[in-house]
Amino acid sequence: MADPTFLDSTELVLNMGPQHPSTHGVLRVILKLDGEKVLGTECVIGYLHRGVEKIGENRTYQMFAPYVDRTDYVASVSNGLGYCLAVEKLLNVEAPPRAQAVRVILTELNRISSHLVWLGTHCLDIGAITPLFYTFREREMIMDIYEKYCGARLTTHAFRIGGLQYELYEGFEQECRDLCDWFLPRVDEYEQLLTGNRILVARMTNVGVLTAEDCKAYGVTGPMLRAAGVPWDLRKAQPYSGYEQYEFEIPTGKNGDTYDRYLVRMEEMRQSVRIIRQAADRIPDGPIMAKVPKVIKPPVGEVYVSIEAPKGELGYLIVSDGSTQPYRVRIRPPSFINLQSLDKMARGALVADIVAIIGTIDIVLGEVDR
Amino acid sequence: MAEEGKPVPKPPAAQAGSAAPKAPPQMAATPWESELTQALAARFGDEILEFSSYLGQEFLVARPAAVIPILEWLKTEAGFDYLVDITAVDYPARAERFELFYILYSFARNQRIRIKTNLPDGGRPATATGVHLTANWLEREVFDMFGIEFAGHPDLRRILMPEEWQGHPLRKDYSILTQDQAWVRENLGIESAQ
Amino acid sequence: MRKLLRRIFLVDLVEGLLVTFRYQHPKYITTEQYPAERPKVAERYRGAPRLNNNPETGETLCIACNLCALACPETLIVVGSERNEQTRRKELTTFTYDTSRCMFCGLCEDACPVDALELTQDFELASYSREGAIWDREMLEDGPRPTKYKY
Repeated sequence: MADPTFLDSTELVLNMGPQHPSTHGVLRVILKLDGEKVLGTECVIGYLHRGVEKIGENRTYQMFAPYVDRTDYVASVSNGLGYCLAVEKLLNVEAPPRAQAVRVILTELNRISSHLVWLGTHCLDIGAITPLFYTFREREMIMDIYEKYCGARLTTHAFRIGGLQYELYEGFEQECRDLCDWFLPRVDEYEQLLTGNRILVARMTNVGVLTAEDCKAYGVTGPMLRAAGVPWDLRKAQPYSGYEQYEFEIPTGKNGDTYDRYLVRMEEMRQSVRIIRQAADRIPDGPIMAKVPKVIKPPVGEVYVSIEAPKGELGYLIVSDGSTQPYRVRIRPPSFINLQSLDKMARGALVADIVAIIGTIDIVLGEVDR
Repeated sequence: MAEEGKPVPKPPAAQAGSAAPKAPPQMAATPWESELTQALAARFGDEILEFSSYLGQEFLVARPAAVIPILEWLKTEAGFDYLVDITAVDYPARAERFELFYILYSFARNQRIRIKTNLPDGGRPATATGVHLTANWLEREVFDMFGIEFAGHPDLRRILMPEEWQGHPLRKDYSILTQDQAWVRENLGIESAQ
Repeated sequence: MRKLLRRIFLVDLVEGLLVTFRYQHPKYITTEQYPAERPKVAERYRGAPRLNNNPETGETLCIACNLCALACPETLIVVGSERNEQTRRKELTTFTYDTSRCMFCGLCEDACPVDALELTQDFELASYSREGAIWDREMLEDGPRPTKYKY
């Protein structure tokens, strides 16, 4: 046994600080390294904590709706959908079919938009710079539709409690169909750029493996769970807002590694296009808003409603005490819970894999910290 | 729109000189009976105080000491292997101030269930990390926001607020304008404007 | 054998590069030359707030009902009014809108019963001071005046 020399490495603690281009926001990861290998990680979060749940206790139900958009700001339409569904359940009303169909279209566009951001930034972290430009160009078209519909591109506040505020504009269905027609070949283009690329394959396979048991133990949902092989999607298991009328498949993976998650999300984009096409072809006529009182005072009670957001299971637990302001709003954030599994996935990986793993969890710090 | 005191339902005997004490408005929950409740009642007896359902969502109320055994039983015997969320609600007017929620889901049954338990201020429930690994950060967040300590938690620290923050933000007596002035002065170098 | 050739000649990398080089064609340029050409935003865009006047008479349409102030989640609208004794109606005197805290959610615009307050398509709202972001009635009626660049 030789004496330890100058070149032997000891455990190094490295700070991947809150300001880092690859942490997708203000996330601080403290890495314990042995040379290049990771022995353990620790996530320090809370840099973007704005107290959204506390704000919820001080605003009326309608006033709180713009705030929930700002938790997952990349995919803000889903947040609004989850919140409106939760309050509607508390009030025991259901949005009319036309509102439900439009909600489905906008939410699926939102899913495509969120996955495009994921794709662009994840591949950027891994080293492929060009997909970022292409995905953001597609995203511009989706945000143009949002802008024409509700007036804002990112923090949309698209839905109201009980239905929709705005009637559809002229040509909405045709624009959605045109977008779908334009978009599907683009997905093939991304696949041509990325899927067979040996660098990507080498950096993604067997990196960040999370088996199905681990996923269930850590409460991980969304594309991560599906990539581990569990075909569970809340849109099929507990359908909401009319999803049972549409035909789509749930893509699953086999190994639960980063490459499988990449394939699952690409396929989800294609399935979203399928849903949008079906929904845009048959938007029913009728009212867009259910009969909801002007001043919303739900009866005393609590309800937990969750939807399949692009990142996982997004849930809202709303406790009402009979007044116009909620007593407690709890947002069950998929990114927060998925981020817990970072430590499990990162042990034994290399430092360069940490970046890939953080990217594949698809976190948005606004949702992690609220 | 910051209201300092939340309109809490007043407890029955708190008002001096009022004609008849008003009971706080209760949730219109309906009792819930199924083979799962019968199995739970057979196993846990009077540790479970009620089985109810509201708007189609089933929940049960249990004593704090029985929660972890119930979680274990539900995971091993009934297939509720996915802990969706742990959170708490603060009712400062009640003696048992905090109501702790555990939301579970079973993939096999496609069913969600809530377990509620009432804790007094200073109550220390056992940690659920032995049963579900996801409880780690969830309990840290409940500790951070409410101050409920979980006995046996491997790493109970603040998660969203800074480490040295004093106060637990989501309690009702912590107004929305409150800030830990000492922390702000030390770390940001300004006098807090709140 | 085919796989070996694909590996040696970097076929998968070349496939990706073909996509990238195809996009070098000028017809794929999507860059907008801002500020020379300002983007056209949609009609429903929630941009700068504006207080509308009646186009014929030039009087304000606002009836000082305060619904916008009540609807705002951030309570940043302050409506000042006084009661006109002849017509027995409230008339608008001052209207303050704090754009620095506004999140452009559109609840005030939805609440206004007479379409006096609306969020327009202006998105250039920068000012040099914090007080410059608090708009009073004149600024609301005229609208922001962003710098026009000449090339």
